[in-house]
Amino acid sequence: MTELPQPFPALLLQLMETPLLAITLSLAAYFAGRTLFRWLKQPLWCPVALLSASLLAATLALLSISYEDYRREAEWLTLLLGPATVALAVPLYQQLHHIRSAWRQILITLPVAASCAALYAVLLAIWLGASADVVASLAPKSVTAPIAIGIVDQLGGSVAMMMGGLLITGVVSVLFVELLAPRLNIRDERIIGFVLGINGHAIGTVRAFEISQLAGAFASLGMSLTGVFTAIWLPLVWTLLAF
Amino acid sequence: MLRGFLILMCFLLLGESISFLLALPVNGGVVGMLLLTLWLMINGDVSADLVSASQKLISVLVFLIMPGVVGVFFLADEFTSQWLPVIVALLLGTLLSVLTTFLLMRSLGNDKTESRHHD
Repeated sequence: MTELPQPFPALLLQLMETPLLAITLSLAAYFAGRTLFRWLKQPLWCPVALLSASLLAATLALLSISYEDYRREAEWLTLLLGPATVALAVPLYQQLHHIRSAWRQILITLPVAASCAALYAVLLAIWLGASADVVASLAPKSVTAPIAIGIVDQLGGSVAMMMGGLLITGVVSVLFVELLAPRLNIRDERIIGFVLGINGHAIGTVRAFEISQLAGAFASLGMSLTGVFTAIWLPLVWTLLAF
Repeated sequence: MLRGFLILMCFLLLGESISFLLALPVNGGVVGMLLLTLWLMINGDVSADLVSASQKLISVLVFLIMPGVVGVFFLADEFTSQWLPVIVALLLGTLLSVLTTFLLMRSLGNDKTESRHHD
């Protein structure tokens, strides 16, 4: 590789003084990731978030910007996650009427299923000797990202690790739902959608909308309810058990 | 649209305040989201301003979580050394939880007449 001209590192340092460069790089990576996603024919195993993030990570490495510096300057985006989380109330409210068509199953299934989604992973991780912060990072693995970030902050895990777990969980729950549904002889699109939303958060919901609008509606309902339920009970249980 | 954004910010601040004052271990944004859902249910209607502000924010969610996702590529060694429990917990844990949810929903039965009635 050719040597960089001397003024370049100084310029980079200057540009990283404000969030301008970090935001611009994020935006560029976001759109490049989306284009790449369409170009790859929208692969289910590799969501847009992961494509954009890998492009951004490569750019940061190339410009030798440390992740800590980037994260500090991109704080602005994280701040906007606050109102975006509140905004999830609107689709939740709009999906609430679906509860009426299957309220009994939803009421019983949701607390159990949302608890299982966290508990199985937590117990397996503890059993295999994972450290406390890793366990905390894995616990909200089935919760949609903006809510999960809030949960990890409360539990004291690593946001980056949680994001990795979230992506893997989303992708494999789609896989497992499609593997298990025919074997268990389940064809009701409402059930398939709901299970996709509970376990696979946004990635599962995207898949459910490909099946049908009805499956998609139940998936977003399952995703929202799981997020809300987990955000309340998980930190409470965590404090009680004092992990 | 900005009017809708103001409503979202008010509910966020309200959620943060309640979470702080009651010393809840729950994230302020989630409390704000619950309060807004409750408010919409009581009102029985959602304003066009709020719908447009919410849709715009939700449509850029993937962009907003990017700083967190990028961190996956810079994970500290202490985490990567625990890849085995992490992978097993994620794969086996998800398989078990998908299976449990399916079995539970199937055992609760599926009232076909009710679904036809509502669809």
